[in-house]
Amino acid sequence: MIHFDNVNKKFPFGNTALKDICLEIENDEFVFVVGPSGAGKTTLLKLITRELLPSSGSIFIDDVDISQKNFHQTNKLRQKIGMVFQDFKILNEKTVFENVALALTISHLNTESIKTAVHQALQAVGLQNKDNFFPLQLSMGELQRVAIARAISGERKLIIADEPTGNLDPKTTWEIMKIFKKLEGKKTILIATHNTDVVNSFKKRVIVIKDGRILKDTRKGGYDL
Amino acid sequence: MSRLLKSIRRAPYQSFAAFLMLFMSLLMATALLFSIGSLYGLLGYVETRPQVTVYFQSNASESEIGKIRQELIDSGKTLSVKYVSQTDAFKTYKELNKDNPLLLEMVTADILPASLEINAKKPVYLPQIAEFLQKKAGVNEVVFQKIIIDRLVQLTALIKTISLTFFIFLTITTMIILFTITHFKVALRKDEIELLRLLGASNNFIRWPFFQESLIFAFFSATSAFLFFIGLFFYFSPFINGYLRGIDRLTINFDWAQLTVWPINTTWLACIYFGILLFGCFTYLTASFFATKKFIK
Repeated sequence: MIHFDNVNKKFPFGNTALKDICLEIENDEFVFVVGPSGAGKTTLLKLITRELLPSSGSIFIDDVDISQKNFHQTNKLRQKIGMVFQDFKILNEKTVFENVALALTISHLNTESIKTAVHQALQAVGLQNKDNFFPLQLSMGELQRVAIARAISGERKLIIADEPTGNLDPKTTWEIMKIFKKLEGKKTILIATHNTDVVNSFKKRVIVIKDGRILKDTRKGGYDL
Repeated sequence: MSRLLKSIRRAPYQSFAAFLMLFMSLLMATALLFSIGSLYGLLGYVETRPQVTVYFQSNASESEIGKIRQELIDSGKTLSVKYVSQTDAFKTYKELNKDNPLLLEMVTADILPASLEINAKKPVYLPQIAEFLQKKAGVNEVVFQKIIIDRLVQLTALIKTISLTFFIFLTITTMIILFTITHFKVALRKDEIELLRLLGASNNFIRWPFFQESLIFAFFSATSAFLFFIGLFFYFSPFINGYLRGIDRLTINFDWAQLTVWPINTTWLACIYFGILLFGCFTYLTASFFATKKFIK
């Protein structure tokens, strides 16, 4: 469970990104975080991955306060989180298999377990036959699927996706969203997006952020820009 | 190994520069180690030669010489006192001039003086021993090599200081260059490192490939430098053999062991090899540590 307790985030030059954020996300919940550019969506996600620390307030993940400055388990925390980015962050000199395996190597799994986990993840995103391909041989949609495979591989229980369809055409967007849909109920999924069509069609929990504040938090909501 | 090859392929010039830099440094370190070792061995050799030789008048009796010898031993300032009788001196003379019958015909045992060959415990005792001997009856001449030993000690100290300064300079230069090269390599893998951080990799996990590469490069550079030096040594060995002719053995004496540095032997070569290997590993690992630390920060 993720719990934000009155979280504020101010950047050094006085720019306030988040104000008085209080929210709770249950395990295996599917949540969209929406809002206009600069609303604070990415900041919210970065606070969960501890890329940023809050200026005040606390963030708990499974009852552990990760916002403390003396929290020394950042690596362990990130090993439990699968991240999907708008720019994919796929390494061009590694094959599809190696890109997905990278996340598992960090967890010090043995070679056999890595092989099994990578093949399962690639199967889940429909790339089981492209494990020896290099990123330059893949389409944008396939690259994002590799990123998702990397995020869901192993024991990662929380998937954070920051604008995962931002660089994709509508058809590919739906293919990617279908993959997320398949993960529903198995992992906690947090997707930051602009895409109103996607959000409205899913009928899932929607947290609307504007000017750093939570404007609306609806359980089976939609979204209108 | 495949990771290393990939890393070399990714930055061939940087890798080659790192190898060359390390090779040159380790070659110089090998030469330094070898020279210092030989110098210390030479110093030890000279110190074990008779430092004071006292020649007696031909009328000095064996009992008089024996008395002086005992007094020297009782003084506690000598390591050894060897008596060379007129007969022994003649034997040595014959041996040295066996190819020159004319010289042998002209000399008999009577005209050669008996002598004592003395090794002092410390160079500082040499003038005291010489002064003591000069006052004794029956003494013809006292020869002692204090000046030679003093100069050799001074020369060794000077070479030690110069070598140490040069070694520190070499270490710092090597580290700075390797740091710069590794920093370039780290920068080339910026995206990968950023991703690894996001995926939860620890600093050590990120550093390990660079450390691994440092160790492998240090191994290859040390081995190449060592083999190159051995090649050079054998090329110049006729000259070195000529220079050290007559010296059977040079050793460095430690409190716990004695190391033979001449003639060249496997123990001494192994010491040099492991010395430069450690030096190579230390410099490259330190450089990699700081290069990655700066980047990870």
